[in-house]
Amino acid sequence: MSAKPDSKANVDNEAVAVMGDLISKYADRSREDLSLMDVMSLAENMADTMHEFFDTLDATLYKEFREISTSIAEMRTEVGALRPNDIKNGRIPDAGQELEAIVETTESATETIMSSVEAIMSADTNDADAYQAEISDQAIKIMEACSFQDLTGQRISKVVETLQFIESRISRFSNAIGAVDGDVELTEEEQREEKRRQDLILHGPQDEKDAIQQGAIDNLFD
Amino acid sequence: MAIDQTMPILVVDDYKTMIRIIRNLLKQLGFNEVDDAADGTEALEKARNRKYGLIISDWNMEPMTGYELLKEVRGDEDISRTPFIMVTAESKTENVIAAKKAGVNNYIVKPFNAATLKSKIDSVFGE
Repeated sequence: MSAKPDSKANVDNEAVAVMGDLISKYADRSREDLSLMDVMSLAENMADTMHEFFDTLDATLYKEFREISTSIAEMRTEVGALRPNDIKNGRIPDAGQELEAIVETTESATETIMSSVEAIMSADTNDADAYQAEISDQAIKIMEACSFQDLTGQRISKVVETLQFIESRISRFSNAIGAVDGDVELTEEEQREEKRRQDLILHGPQDEKDAIQQGAIDNLFD
Repeated sequence: MAIDQTMPILVVDDYKTMIRIIRNLLKQLGFNEVDDAADGTEALEKARNRKYGLIISDWNMEPMTGYELLKEVRGDEDISRTPFIMVTAESKTENVIAAKKAGVNNYIVKPFNAATLKSKIDSVFGE
């Protein structure tokens, strides 16, 4: 912001001083003693004072305010393009339902396959014809159950699409606002969970490239 | 030492299907006396009430993990010598090393097959 000329500063000070005198004068009076003309006079002086004030704002400051205003408008556009409500209320819950359905479908299929395998393992081999019929019957059940792969494949594709949608929106938003990751303090519950994971060495399944192979484990026990 | 196929075995996993798979594999290997538990707490209680010849446990369970179960078993004089095999998806080297340090007898990474399970049981019992 550039400096104001001294003469301008003096004018501002005078205007503010006049305003102060008027306010002191009216403050001593009761509400009934104030006329409409008094109020209008005060308003006029205030307008003059504000005019003087705005007059002192130079072009640089005006430009800065314009840039801030433009940035806010652009930010609003980017937040809108992020479609946060669509993601929060639609896409994420839908993806969650798809994953739950996948768990249910795979559980059901596994149950069917396991039951058929157990039936085959315990089938009576004394009657060859009955044994063969039992094996064929259970084999068909296993094949039917394997159709779960088609359904779960389609559901997983939908979840992947959702993740890609969210990734693209967040990426665009991040680039638009020049986001820099800050340090975020974990909640108490998150801290407890993180400590449990570290203390109990809980990593979950690894990618094949990161996992130790059974042969390497065996070497540790030889 | 010869493997006593009548020995009771405790299978610990929070995933029922995995218990079922291991139970069936053990049955194929001739072990028919199989109990199960859904986490370390339940397993520890069972292990203190029945003398098991072998404990086969998953790692990642709640509230008590297989790793905690292993340390509890090794710290309990009455059951500390029970052979213990970890069967888990936890496949980082630090997991294997920590389990070995805590006294596990062998370690199997999921997914596994019947031959691997058999070879590890054989190995634990010196066959």
